[in-house]
Amino acid sequence: MARDERELLTALHVSYIQNLGKSTDDLAYHLTAHLRLNAIYWGVTALFIMGHPEALDKDEVIRFIESCWDEEAGGFAPHPGHDAHISTTLSAIQILVTYDALDRIDVPRVAKFIISLQHPSGVFAGDSWGETDTRFSYIAVNALSLLGCLDQLDKDKTVDYIKQCRNFDGGFGRCIGAESHSAQVFVCVAALAILDRLDEVDADTLGWWLAERQLPNGGLNGRPEKLEDVCYSFWVLSAMSILNKVAWIDSEKLTSFILSSQDTEKGGISDRPGNVVDVFHTHFGVAGLSILGYPGLVDLDPVYCMPATIIEAKGLKKGWKNLERRQFK
Amino acid sequence: MHGVKRVRLTPEALAAKKLREQSKIKEYLALSDEVLSKKASKDWSREAFDLTTRILQVNPEFSAAWNYRRNILIRGIFPGSSATEINDLLTEELTMTTVALKSHPKVYWIWNHRRWCLENIPDGPGTEGEGVNGWRQTNWEREMFVVDKMLDADSRNFMAWDYRRYCLASMPVARPETAELTYTTRKIEANFSNFSAWHQRSKILSSLWASGKLEHSKSKEEEFKLVRNAMYTDPNDQSVWMYHRWLIGAGEDKELLEREIAIIQDLLDEQPDSKWCMESLVHYKRLLLQKHSSLLDAGSVTNDCRRLLSELRVIDPARRRRYDEIEKQL
Repeated sequence: MARDERELLTALHVSYIQNLGKSTDDLAYHLTAHLRLNAIYWGVTALFIMGHPEALDKDEVIRFIESCWDEEAGGFAPHPGHDAHISTTLSAIQILVTYDALDRIDVPRVAKFIISLQHPSGVFAGDSWGETDTRFSYIAVNALSLLGCLDQLDKDKTVDYIKQCRNFDGGFGRCIGAESHSAQVFVCVAALAILDRLDEVDADTLGWWLAERQLPNGGLNGRPEKLEDVCYSFWVLSAMSILNKVAWIDSEKLTSFILSSQDTEKGGISDRPGNVVDVFHTHFGVAGLSILGYPGLVDLDPVYCMPATIIEAKGLKKGWKNLERRQFK
Repeated sequence: MHGVKRVRLTPEALAAKKLREQSKIKEYLALSDEVLSKKASKDWSREAFDLTTRILQVNPEFSAAWNYRRNILIRGIFPGSSATEINDLLTEELTMTTVALKSHPKVYWIWNHRRWCLENIPDGPGTEGEGVNGWRQTNWEREMFVVDKMLDADSRNFMAWDYRRYCLASMPVARPETAELTYTTRKIEANFSNFSAWHQRSKILSSLWASGKLEHSKSKEEEFKLVRNAMYTDPNDQSVWMYHRWLIGAGEDKELLEREIAIIQDLLDEQPDSKWCMESLVHYKRLLLQKHSSLLDAGSVTNDCRRLLSELRVIDPARRRRYDEIEKQL
């Protein structure tokens, strides 16, 4: 039976996430093995934000993370037998911090792996093959901060590269010269927030650009004249929260847009209404709703994209501002 | 999953689909296990290379298979190959990934693999005509052709644009920037909404102006003409207004600001509910107030802004809190 799509169908989403690991009779499950560890981070975080931290077997998750360790590189691969990458290494760290199990990894070794990926220009590479992207700069900053190793980072060099990716519209791109894109805006602004260098952001111009991401149907796009997508709810809102500008868009319309992208029969959230759901959009939809103050959800820290109380307990909280949590009517 | 429609299958149809997939899963997992076990045993043979071809044709997102493939080339195949053979192998890699890109235009790993190939093209052929960069130039030229095709298929593909800038910056024989300016003109004229092309244009022009290859003030006037044409064609298109804002910049030139304000006001008179006209007028009038307040009737300009902001709150209520904040700052 179809349920009311005006509310978040938490129970359905919890069971959707719980069942993901059991979809081994689905070809898509195997074709996405290269995203497995990221997918677990998305699932775990969405569950914590929905108030169901016990929904997955913590020990099983931790054992899986340990099986992804790439001894040669000193980082985590997305899947056993694959290769270490900075992105999956952050996912491993985020899950372990969320489960309060960071003692399961060799912190100095992982920090060394991350630091080794910084290029002379200040940007970070994803792995030893050398693809560079401001995403990887954020990942390095976030991971080193969670590991308590930020003092090992050349901060000026890191900031200097990000600064050069800023465009006239206030946004940031993947690399020097690249077009502003809201996912890159999130990573650059959040990295600067962690490094206490938000002075490098032109908050009014960027706030304007971010507010103009909202389309008449309430959804947010990632760049001018593009279509809306649930995942931008997080990329755009996180940056707005860090700049204290969430009120610059219509939160009710965005909330309705995210809710209308739920699969009301089987759970999960898709990129836009009527499409196939996945754990990526489920996570970013729930994360967006938390920033919008949706009732019953746990606070999300938009800088680290993790439960806020966990970041606060580590003394890492920055000055972001989500909308106040509303009460159920 | 991006852009895939949700379809409700009956339990019978679902069971049939699962059954059909079972043999595919078995085949895929066997292939994947074989690749990963050869990778673990550091097998750099031609046979292992061919296995990576097979699995990447099924799943071009399998990042570890791309890494393994490059390792096989570097450790197993290149050492026993002549420069000509290496060039042929890399050219073959580029052809293979062109096919993969057509069906997977936004897979980072495929673009990365191409970069690696291009960066490893050996010196050659060494003939008098072509010198040591002949192979390189041939491959890079073809690469620009591929990027053109990718941007014809999706003119906003940001990976293709980033890759285009990378190619332009790294080609052995650089293309003149004026050629790239012409390219952006073509893209913009095909579709004014293509902000990616406007963005690229802003970068190219900045460089041409800084180097003095284009005369700044004359060229800027031509840009105003282009953008005005686009503004009148579709006043609701953000791309155009953002580009206009870049042309105006910090608003140091009072005369220019006033001229553009008058032009936008004319357009607003024709299109009285144009949000972007009003929004831009507020921005440029605020620049007037910030930079040139002693030279104008600040009270009347401030009142204009207030009036426009109250209209904006009505026609664009989603962003009314932003308009409130701007009004407070007046």
